[in-house]
Amino acid sequence: MIRQQFLQELWELLAPVPEPIRRDWMYDYEEHFRIAVENGQSEEAAAVELGDPRQIAKELLLGYRVEQAADKNGSITHVSRAVLAAVSLGFFNLIFVLGPYIALLAVLISFYAVAGALCLSSLAAIYESVWGTELTYLQGSSLAAVLMGLGILTGVGTHRLARAVARMTLNYLRFNSRMITRGNKK
Amino acid sequence: MNVQFKKGVLELCVLALTAWEDRYGYELAVSISHKFEVAVGSVYPLLNRLTLEGYFSTYLRESPEGPPRKYYKLTPLGHTHLMELTVEWRSFSQAVDQIIKEGVER
Repeated sequence: MIRQQFLQELWELLAPVPEPIRRDWMYDYEEHFRIAVENGQSEEAAAVELGDPRQIAKELLLGYRVEQAADKNGSITHVSRAVLAAVSLGFFNLIFVLGPYIALLAVLISFYAVAGALCLSSLAAIYESVWGTELTYLQGSSLAAVLMGLGILTGVGTHRLARAVARMTLNYLRFNSRMITRGNKK
Repeated sequence: MNVQFKKGVLELCVLALTAWEDRYGYELAVSISHKFEVAVGSVYPLLNRLTLEGYFSTYLRESPEGPPRKYYKLTPLGHTHLMELTVEWRSFSQAVDQIIKEGVER
């Protein structure tokens, strides 16, 4: 009964994970119950030994999210999911994982905004040289070229930076998941 | 012993136990939890994660008692990782020993 409950709960909690991996993971916990009972342990004792299924599921999900994000070459959506999985492991991670991550995201967004603004202002320079009075065609078009160039450079640089941030975040999460204390102490 | 402390070396222990022979999860969980008091439940998620990271491959093998068991086999990548961790651990524990000697046993 307790075995069924435990396994059922874990199975449901692992719903975000594709079925083949989920089945593979579940095999360990099923096997643990089976061998423990063969060795004369009660199902209750075996369940206590394993700990809280919710905690196990969180830890497994974190590992899965991190690997998935790494496979997807650090796409922001996948990295963010991994970060959230880490945060769900405890309050501690809210401060040491989510905080810095949001700060880094904000920096990236502001760089992208700068890149966008530079590109837009080159359009403004062209507009001014055509319809305005301040700039000649030559001044306008060279100013536009310079601004556009800067905008593209900033954009490319920021893109590289985003990649680096994603990689760093994943490495940090891997390191973190090795260190995270589990609810069931012994 | 401190929980954080044990968690840090758990990975090394699991990899070390599988260096020469493949083992099944229960065997690993129980032999480690006997040696130093770590929760049995923390071993399985670790095994699952190390498999996901490519350090282990798993397969089912028939067992004389009952259904087949899931065995963990160290991959070449896992082997390299074990070697790295061992070197790290050696230099770390030597440094700590050294500091204890200088600090306590003078």
